[in-house]
Amino acid sequence: MIEVRDLVYEYPSVRALKGVSLHIRPQTITALVGPNGAGKTTFLRCLAALEPPYSGTVTIDGLDTRDAPRAIHSRLGYLPDFYGLYDALNVRRVLTYAARSRGIAAAMVAGAVEKAAGRVALMDRLEAKAGELSRGLRQRLAIAQVIVHEPRVLLLDEPAAGLDPQARRDLSTLLVTLKDGGMTLVVSSHILAELEDYCSEMIIIEAGLIVGGQAIKVRDVERPRYMLEIATARSDLREFLAGRAGVDVIEADQHHALITHTKNAAARARLIRDLLASGFEVSSFGESTKALEDAYFKQVGQGA
Amino acid sequence: MNPEFQRNLWLELTPRRMFLMALVLALIFFAAALTDGMVSGPGEAARWLYYLIVVVWGTRNAARAVVGEIRDRTWDGQRLSSLGAGTMTWGKLFGSTVFNWFGGAICLAVILADLFGKHGVGVALIEFVYYVSIGVIAQAAALLVSLVAAGRRQAHSQFEVFLYQAAGLGAAIAVYLVWATADPAGSILARTAPTDFTVWWGLTLDARAFLLLSLAIFTAWTLVGCVRQMRLELKMRNGPFVWLGFLIFIGIYVAGFDAWLSGNRDLAHLDAVARRLLLGDTTFAVIAYLMVFLEPKDRVHYRWLGSAFAKFDLRSALGGLQGWMTSYLFALALGTALLVRLASEPQDQATVGAMLGFFSRDVAIVVLANMMSRRKSGDFAAVAILFSLYVLLPAIVKGLNYETALVVFFPRASDPVWLSPLLAWSEAVLAAVLAFGSLALPEERAKTQAASGTP
Repeated sequence: MIEVRDLVYEYPSVRALKGVSLHIRPQTITALVGPNGAGKTTFLRCLAALEPPYSGTVTIDGLDTRDAPRAIHSRLGYLPDFYGLYDALNVRRVLTYAARSRGIAAAMVAGAVEKAAGRVALMDRLEAKAGELSRGLRQRLAIAQVIVHEPRVLLLDEPAAGLDPQARRDLSTLLVTLKDGGMTLVVSSHILAELEDYCSEMIIIEAGLIVGGQAIKVRDVERPRYMLEIATARSDLREFLAGRAGVDVIEADQHHALITHTKNAAARARLIRDLLASGFEVSSFGESTKALEDAYFKQVGQGA
Repeated sequence: MNPEFQRNLWLELTPRRMFLMALVLALIFFAAALTDGMVSGPGEAARWLYYLIVVVWGTRNAARAVVGEIRDRTWDGQRLSSLGAGTMTWGKLFGSTVFNWFGGAICLAVILADLFGKHGVGVALIEFVYYVSIGVIAQAAALLVSLVAAGRRQAHSQFEVFLYQAAGLGAAIAVYLVWATADPAGSILARTAPTDFTVWWGLTLDARAFLLLSLAIFTAWTLVGCVRQMRLELKMRNGPFVWLGFLIFIGIYVAGFDAWLSGNRDLAHLDAVARRLLLGDTTFAVIAYLMVFLEPKDRVHYRWLGSAFAKFDLRSALGGLQGWMTSYLFALALGTALLVRLASEPQDQATVGAMLGFFSRDVAIVVLANMMSRRKSGDFAAVAILFSLYVLLPAIVKGLNYETALVVFFPRASDPVWLSPLLAWSEAVLAAVLAFGSLALPEERAKTQAASGTP
């Protein structure tokens, strides 16, 4: 869906991207992480065909950003890290303008507006002025603006900034729903915890380069990571798990094991039953929530 | 309806604002009708108010149409929209100023009623076209300059907005002054005697008709300029033909006023063809100077352009030529034609040759200064260098009584006669080599670093 080859981008005083190449598969959510000033925003703007590369190519859905920027614009939604809203307009008009300016036929606009507002839980605020919304609600409205035309590619720069925990959870759910609906998402953030819930792949940008040279698969929706803990040490823990069908051991010691396993609940129950039956005193078994963080520090550590 | 225009209607044309505008204007006209103060009657009050609301205030709003979006961080969203450049341009131009046009329409109704009563329907119609044109051309000029500035990523501060507004006001003042020479209503504000005829390309034409047509054509060109600049903002490419068409038009238009030069003592010995070539050439040179400062000197774009020429991809390459480049080539071509025409005048030939050389040097210096600057101060550096070359250094040389050395700095009679053009072109070549070098070297350095793995 997104193909980047040897992308170089220069500002007058600095080379922000120094030869980035990667491939992003369709219908995935890719996390774009890295320290402040690493080049994340520049990279997203190049993907959005808003900045022409100094050299190299970016193709989205088979279209080159230099040759067909307008065709790419029609296929994507982009939420910058610092965005603005038309504060004097109410939510309905903000979304109506977004829908109409994105080419939605007049007869379809009302439906598109309500669908977008519903997705970000703003249906009860349609008549409120954008300038009167709280920071979290403004963030939701900004997201609704960029999804109102159902883009094929969605680029979000720090989308969860300023959201409360509930709104962050709602955002995670929304992004997964959009992905399941066919969208390809790239989400930039420097807060790993907020990406953990929905990203399956990660790109680490540091000093204008991709650490490790490619996207890292951090989470498989079909085969999540699970952390197993047993109360009494057993030296054969790794061996036992490796021998079970459908289990891949990532790392293990006498007390813990990090494995990937099918998401099927019955299969998980069977595994736990087998562990107990074989005398392993299972004290904890749950989905690992630090996959992204682990992968990040592993890569950054390698890079350093 | 155009979504951009619709959005502006929502923001600008609220019933409350419309009521207040109508009320205030009605009170002013009523007061003007009753009192014999600064203005004589509602008609004159309406003219002043029209200029204030549509030209002064309207140019402010037009200048902010795009700059305001950039400042409010909504511009990227608009650039990603599906709206075409034409739709976006007229939505912004007439949307951002719709409230001004509402007030202007009320004033215009009073102006036309006044003119109809005093001069008849013909004059009223001509004045209607003039008033609408001056409003559109002023607002479009402000929008155009703000769009050019947006392309240079400088469109942020209030002072800059004022500069874009000033460009619109400048266009309005130019239109006003030219129109004042043939105003059928008697040049009400300028109080100058109207001119009945204009001589153009040797033809004696009715001044009113000529100026009215000129005004309409220049308004159209300004709007075309806005659309083309908007296309660039929306990441669309402009073909070369519209700009070439403009250059040909403006060259022919200005060259037609050669009769104006016939009274000049220094140029009286030139024949009509040489005078026309000189006028056309000067026009192209002025446009080239203006454009080389206005347009972004983007290393990425120049690199891409060089690569398109290297691959003989002429369609892309010609489409990628900036305005200053084609204007420069036109000035050079017409200058060469002028040199041929002046074959029997060696001193004139040398002066024109030197002028072309210094002109080429100056353009190269602007590009060079921008390539060498690591920040966005390249144009200021270029102005400083040119100021030194044309003012400071000549003043020092003159102060030291080396006046013959002034030939190094600007076109000047020299002995031998070819020395002046030779020096001018030597400086031009040097500046051009340095400009190309500063464009190419960082790329070579980056390639070397990439090959050696140096960060």
